[in-house]
Amino acid sequence: MAERINLKEIERKAYTSYHQDGLIDISIAFIVLTFGIMIVLDMGWMGGVFAVVYISFYAAAKKTLTVPRIGFVKFAHYRAKAMQAMAIGVLSLMMLLGVVAFMQTEEGGTPSWLLFAIENYMLVIGVSVAASFCAAGYTFRTKRMYAYALPTLIMFVAGHFLYYPLHYYLILLGSLILLSGLAMLTRFIRKYPLSTSESTGDNRNEG
Amino acid sequence: MKDDEAKDDELTSIPRVDKIIHEPARFTIMAHLFVVESADFLFLQRQTGLTWGNLSSHISKLEAAGYVEVTKEFLDKKPHTTLQLTNKGRTAFQEYRQSMKQIFSKLPG
Repeated sequence: MAERINLKEIERKAYTSYHQDGLIDISIAFIVLTFGIMIVLDMGWMGGVFAVVYISFYAAAKKTLTVPRIGFVKFAHYRAKAMQAMAIGVLSLMMLLGVVAFMQTEEGGTPSWLLFAIENYMLVIGVSVAASFCAAGYTFRTKRMYAYALPTLIMFVAGHFLYYPLHYYLILLGSLILLSGLAMLTRFIRKYPLSTSESTGDNRNEG
Repeated sequence: MKDDEAKDDELTSIPRVDKIIHEPARFTIMAHLFVVESADFLFLQRQTGLTWGNLSSHISKLEAAGYVEVTKEFLDKKPHTTLQLTNKGRTAFQEYRQSMKQIFSKLPG
């Protein structure tokens, strides 16, 4: 048995089963949808504020919906470290780009790469969001994030040539992810009905 | 002659395999706890597919051997049981894997 056991596979299975509730998808969808709606209302900056609200929603929903059905697990520290490293990496890159853009603008007008990015903002957003999905898929070992990256890229590349407003694509993308998340949540709730107190092992007799 | 002695040594190592971990259900529990920091009873039950009674009985044996630490607490006024491998359990599991690998690698064929 020890010969056949694959600990990495056990860990992967445990990890994916804990995240097959679709809550992360629903949270991402809400963030994307909110950005889209806020752009329509000319309050795009509010999207960031709502992102914080949705993170809290995710934590609360995990506690209310997932843990009573599948139980609670704390994964090894390296998982959390990988998430932190990814978040720090993305933020550092954004800050670096911001500082470089600021310095070059101060020195003598808008730099050519920034002008290119502004002119092709749909491509830049599409590639950035798709890359973020891929990074999330790699870090969290969730293949469906790669599946979200592909329509994102196609949608925004198409958007670059079609000239529809940005919020159309954000709302469409958010709706797609929301539908996927809700389908996963429904399947999860059906697969894992609420456990009785006995099955949680809390009444077990010692010995 | 020396080869025969070596083979005898290999065979005598088989009875030294940790019998507490060797039982398939306990091995599965140990393997699941080995890859996480801690998990509650329900999570283990879902992952291993063991019944409540079976899991409870095996955990009691692992706890008695000092391989698993069982923590009972109240969360939102409900009892909650958390399980994690002790250092002794983690070492025992690694040693078990190592000894089983050695035994299998020495078998002919």
